[in-house]
Amino acid sequence: MSRTEAEKPILRVEGLTKRYGSKEVLKRASLAIKRGDLKVLIGPSGGGKSTLLQCINFLVIPEEGRVWLEEREIFHHRKKELYQFRQKVGMIFQDFNLFDHLSALDNVRIGLVRVKRLGKAEARARALQELERVGLKDHIHKYPAELSGGQKQRVSIARALAMDPSVMLLDEPTSALDPELISEVLAVIKDLGAHGMTMLMSTHQIAFASEVASEFIFMEDGQIVETGPPLKILSDADCDRTREFCSKITELYNTSF
Amino acid sequence: MDELHFIWQEVLPALWRGFGVSLQLIIPSSLFGLAIGMSVGALRVFGRPLARRLADLYVLLFRGFPLVVQLFMWYFGLPYLGIYFSPFLASVIGFSLRSGAYQSEYVRGAFLSVKHGQMLAAQALGFSHLRMIWTIILPQAFRRALPGCGNEIIYLIKYSSLAYMITCIELTGEAKIIATETFKYTEIFLIVGAVYLILTSFASWVLHRVEERMRIPGFEYLKA
Repeated sequence: MSRTEAEKPILRVEGLTKRYGSKEVLKRASLAIKRGDLKVLIGPSGGGKSTLLQCINFLVIPEEGRVWLEEREIFHHRKKELYQFRQKVGMIFQDFNLFDHLSALDNVRIGLVRVKRLGKAEARARALQELERVGLKDHIHKYPAELSGGQKQRVSIARALAMDPSVMLLDEPTSALDPELISEVLAVIKDLGAHGMTMLMSTHQIAFASEVASEFIFMEDGQIVETGPPLKILSDADCDRTREFCSKITELYNTSF
Repeated sequence: MDELHFIWQEVLPALWRGFGVSLQLIIPSSLFGLAIGMSVGALRVFGRPLARRLADLYVLLFRGFPLVVQLFMWYFGLPYLGIYFSPFLASVIGFSLRSGAYQSEYVRGAFLSVKHGQMLAAQALGFSHLRMIWTIILPQAFRRALPGCGNEIIYLIKYSSLAYMITCIELTGEAKIIATETFKYTEIFLIVGAVYLILTSFASWVLHRVEERMRIPGFEYLKA
């Protein structure tokens, strides 16, 4: 890969704006992510992190703004292109959103069979491989109701990985988990990062995030307030509001930087 | 002994004939009703506004009009428009459309109970709208709708007896004919009642088996 190739953003969004009635919940958000980057969205709940992530793959249709994946602009009203695009953008949800009627194996396999149109055997092999990667080889036949929260989230990560995404969006992947189960999911995310997966993640796990992120993006009131390297944002932010948020959250998690 | 002989020679063959006709009414009507219910139920939840309105109107009409009136319309009314159905066909159409209207209500409720997040997850994987409904929503909704849908099928078994009102002579029709001839209403209709009881019991056993077969963790009903 030439240097210029590596410098090109995989995912770029510009001026994303979402309104509900007269209320703007996302205000002209722009960002770009290069290959292998892990950028982390931080900020108070209701600040627009989830909306931004869901607008990027058009689960929520933004009123304004443009999205490019690997230099190609995506137009959400062209359904075929939209479905193709979403295959390339893995999404992890706070509540896992596994398909309740399918075993772990089938949860991972169904997208391969129904969307990617892989053969049965090939889809099964790929699904097994991804489940093994997230450490669930022994649980492939269990249904979501039989899995712990951490296991469910790992299945959902395997499900996203199986589609060979160019970039992954993670929407507070550990917020619905018991404290004891958080680390197993974080370990998987860390491993993804180490293998060069490009990710945009919102989280409140500040200590973990500062360890793995290449950049922090602080959001509040639907706006991107400030971006920068994790240490700078946490200890020496330019914006007052960012400093206030970070001092509270670091105090809360009893960590210092 | 005369009595037994009479039942053996006259009543049972007639009722057997009627029983066959009843089955021919019930089986296709319940299957069509279920298929209509699934489609209309899906339309009422996921359809575009116009399709939704039309589906609601269908349910309003076919759930609102008494079944006998509907059967009369199919059999006696449509000939005015130059459309002729046999009594059997008119009955099957009438039963299927009425049953579909009721089924769609159970199915609609089941569709609404599937967690919204799963739809987001399917869309995020690149599922088209239709494929999402077919592979993710429907299998779950079907499991949740099954007890209600089974209930409607049990009803259908019993209201299939109305077919004789438009001269489709099924079980009740045959019984009525013999009873009128012999004036043995009590005996004959006790037998008929028992036959319906056996039919509904069998149907609920089958439905229960289907529920068992489709049982997966997370979808079982709480046992007392």
